[in-house]
Amino acid sequence: MTFLMNTVQVLLLILLAPLLRGVIARLKARIQNRRGASVWRPYADLFKLFRKEDLVPASASFVFRLVPIVLFAATLVVAAFIPLLHSSALLGATGDFVLLVYLLALGRFFLMLGAMDGGSSFGGMGASREALVSTLAEAPFLLALMSVAIAARTGSMAGMVQWTLGQNFFQFSAVHALAAVALALVAIAETGRIPVDNPTTHLELTMIHEAMVLEYSGPSLALIEWASAIKLTVVMALLIALFVPWGMASSLSALAIAIAVLVLLLKMAVLVLALALLESSVAKLRMYLVPDFLGVASALAILAVVFTALMR
Amino acid sequence: MGLFETAAAKALASSGVFLFMTVLLIAAAKRISTCIALFSLQSLVLTAQIIAMSRMHHSGEGFVIAAMVLTVKVIAIPYVLYRIVEELKAPRDVSSSTSSSQSVFIAAGLILLSFFAVRPYAGVLGGDQSMLAASVALVLTGGFLMVSRKKALMQVVGLLVLDNGIFLAALTTTFGMPLIIEIGIVFDLLMGVFLMGLFVFRIRDTFDHLDVSKLRRLRG
Amino acid sequence: MILLLPLFIPLAGAIVVFSCRQPRVVVRAALTTGALELAAIGVTVYSIHFQGVLTAGRYLRADGLTSFFLISLGLISALVLVYSSGYLRHVPEGRFSSLRWFYGLVFLFLFTMVAVYLSANLGMMWIFVEATTLASALLVGFYNTEGAVEAGWKYLIVCTVGIAFALFGTIALYLAAVKGGVNPQSALDWGTLMAAAPGLVGGRELLKLAFVFVAVGYGTKVGFVPMHSWLPDAHAEAPSPISALLSAVLLNCAMYALLRFDAITSRAIGSGFSHTLLLIFGGVSLAVASLLMIVQRDLKRLLAYSSIEHMGIVAIGIGLGGALGLYGALLHTFNHSIAKTFLFFTAGNVRENFGILRMERIRGMALSLPWTGGALILGALAITGMPPFGLFVSELVILTGAFSTAHYFIAVLMLAAISVVFGALLYHFQHMLMGKPDDVPMQPALRRSEFAVMGVCALCLVVLGVHIPSAFAAVLRGAMAVLQP
Repeated sequence: MTFLMNTVQVLLLILLAPLLRGVIARLKARIQNRRGASVWRPYADLFKLFRKEDLVPASASFVFRLVPIVLFAATLVVAAFIPLLHSSALLGATGDFVLLVYLLALGRFFLMLGAMDGGSSFGGMGASREALVSTLAEAPFLLALMSVAIAARTGSMAGMVQWTLGQNFFQFSAVHALAAVALALVAIAETGRIPVDNPTTHLELTMIHEAMVLEYSGPSLALIEWASAIKLTVVMALLIALFVPWGMASSLSALAIAIAVLVLLLKMAVLVLALALLESSVAKLRMYLVPDFLGVASALAILAVVFTALMR
Repeated sequence: MGLFETAAAKALASSGVFLFMTVLLIAAAKRISTCIALFSLQSLVLTAQIIAMSRMHHSGEGFVIAAMVLTVKVIAIPYVLYRIVEELKAPRDVSSSTSSSQSVFIAAGLILLSFFAVRPYAGVLGGDQSMLAASVALVLTGGFLMVSRKKALMQVVGLLVLDNGIFLAALTTTFGMPLIIEIGIVFDLLMGVFLMGLFVFRIRDTFDHLDVSKLRRLRG
Repeated sequence: MILLLPLFIPLAGAIVVFSCRQPRVVVRAALTTGALELAAIGVTVYSIHFQGVLTAGRYLRADGLTSFFLISLGLISALVLVYSSGYLRHVPEGRFSSLRWFYGLVFLFLFTMVAVYLSANLGMMWIFVEATTLASALLVGFYNTEGAVEAGWKYLIVCTVGIAFALFGTIALYLAAVKGGVNPQSALDWGTLMAAAPGLVGGRELLKLAFVFVAVGYGTKVGFVPMHSWLPDAHAEAPSPISALLSAVLLNCAMYALLRFDAITSRAIGSGFSHTLLLIFGGVSLAVASLLMIVQRDLKRLLAYSSIEHMGIVAIGIGLGGALGLYGALLHTFNHSIAKTFLFFTAGNVRENFGILRMERIRGMALSLPWTGGALILGALAITGMPPFGLFVSELVILTGAFSTAHYFIAVLMLAAISVVFGALLYHFQHMLMGKPDDVPMQPALRRSEFAVMGVCALCLVVLGVHIPSAFAAVLRGAMAVLQP
């Protein structure tokens, strides 16, 4: 029964990821006084891309063809780590936070390789920028997750969520507050949203993620876009699960699950709204200010880890 | 009602966390208006703390002090500062001599320093270490802001944060002082802010800029 | 009831001055108020002499120490008011810079300082010390020049930060008192604290912490090095009568606050800690100020550093402990006030005639301005502690105290510093007095008001240097009895 629940969780994460992207885009459009595309547009895009032809640059090696598969596979595995409705996940017991960070890093690494393999100058530029951002984002990511892990005395994601569920909501812990802010900043960098990267830009000079995928087409591009959407959903689900997991079903009764779904929708709605508002009100940072942004996240994450010792 | 009370009590017990967050965010802030808003938020946390303590000690005076802090520090002084920022029509950035992430690192270091500074006095003051550490952190951060920010108005904000820290220290250790003294202290602060605002305009009129690091004519 | 008179007369004077429109009426109102204030202070001192401690309500209190400091405040403020009536004929028009504003702010400033002296409660004392900063900031920036605005800003910010630390010290003392069993409602009352002090031994660390913060905080207002950065700027850029008020009265005010705190701390945990701290601050201020006086180029800045030096000597006097040190310190505050006022009036005259205060550009004053030059020589001799002026007596008493309590290092330091100061002043003033004067039109004689006030100052200095009048000595003894019961 638990196995069924966990599989459903993973499938939800995977299949509803494009919908989340669509909702965010539509919300941003509304905030900016535009009408915006339909929320189902990303599905139409994926469908269209799967039917198109896969073009590969002549100078590319086998790595280029491997990248979409590795990226999608890595992101898929990460999706299996996160408890969504129930405080357990498909790979919850074995999936610890270090593995999570490095699976995401693996996907990103291959994306960078593929970008450089494609042979265009924009690919190289995107890869080098992505290298800078991801290097600086990895430390706060790990440290913030580590601080929560130290507080929860366990490394597995499911374990951390279960520990947090047992805490009192109103007793704010400094560790969690700091880790939450640090992770929020890192999440923006990891998923490539404003103010670090603009996911809808057409100007190659302002691209980071988009520049890396310029050479891909057809099903490869579809897989990469889908993986990026899953990554966004996974990171949001991670934030929710780690810091505000109350409302998750503890038993597997229909009522508990229904409540969990409603609560999840509410939390996701809040996060989506916050993201849309942030993206509409803040300007994208210039490249030399991004290390500063991530430096703030690092400082907060380091402080979170030190606080686990202080607030004992 | 019981649930609300326990929730409020627990939230206030961990209000030190809020204050630490405001300390870090004020160090990272890049605009003067953000710093003023964060100061207002800090004062709000202080007011909540005063109200909680007044309920605990059943003292009516405490509510008067809370109302005064709310009116002056949360509403009046930030409003005055916002008006000054608007009237000055000057660039609204903070003109810091350290970058955003460096400031946050320094602020984090100051927070850790304040924890270590408070440790020896734990016995004298009872259990509430994190609030006292928060007050020392506010004092240190206020000082840091005054030293590293080059805009004259930011020195005023730093001074206000420093004063908040001392006020909080008074609050956590002694539950405030006699009412008339508290009123006098807050009134002094208000007058001080007015005067400093006046001087900011004078600096702008005499020097045509608001960069205090360039006020170095008198030396030696 | 009598206590309300010296407190509210300046306030009433400020209101009257602000409501007047014509300059002549303003000046007359100001002089009248000054005279009334002097009379009120005289009455208060007299009453204290016969009645001991005066109180009015819970927050006002006057004892021997108060009367001593009130005498110096009354005298100096009366002299300053008379001097300003002649000096401020050409006031640069600007916002907050008119004759009305000048006198109004001066009276507000006086009100806050009298309130500091009359407070019974340490919290109220803090409030009014902060109020003195606020009241005088606009006076420092009165001329609205670049230097004045910068000096006013620095003064406001540095002193407010310093006073905030003093607040922390006051709170720590309050905490120690409450923990020691004093009733919280009266745990800031000086009289109550003095009575309860011997029982506060348990909070030893807390009392030490409190005194450190108070020494740093109120020490900023006194001008101890290294918190002195505002002092040369503020005293130099302010108008000369205001510089006199700042140097001669405000520094004493802050020192008064330190004295009150020192009394409580010494009674509670013994005078070792607090007096050592005061000796350190005093010694460092003395050394640094005397060395910096050599390289000064502006006359009023030179006088400001001299104020820091003399406050260092006063701190040393207090820190030596015992009857001699304290007697010398108190006498020195009075003598220094008068001498510094005299010198600032002279500097005002120099500025009026030469337009600038840069000492290297002034030459030949002995020939072109004989009276001012004479006053300068007189002032220099007085401030460096030459007989027959009063400072000689007070410095000698402090030195005697230093030798008798075996603080030989401090005594040698003091002697060395005074010698350095003498050399520096001699060098600077000799440059100004000798040589050929430039062809600049000047006013060789002093105005009547100037002559009168400077004459009074010189007279007081000589009298105090030759023989201290018995009435004054009685007040001094009364002040000492308050601090060392």
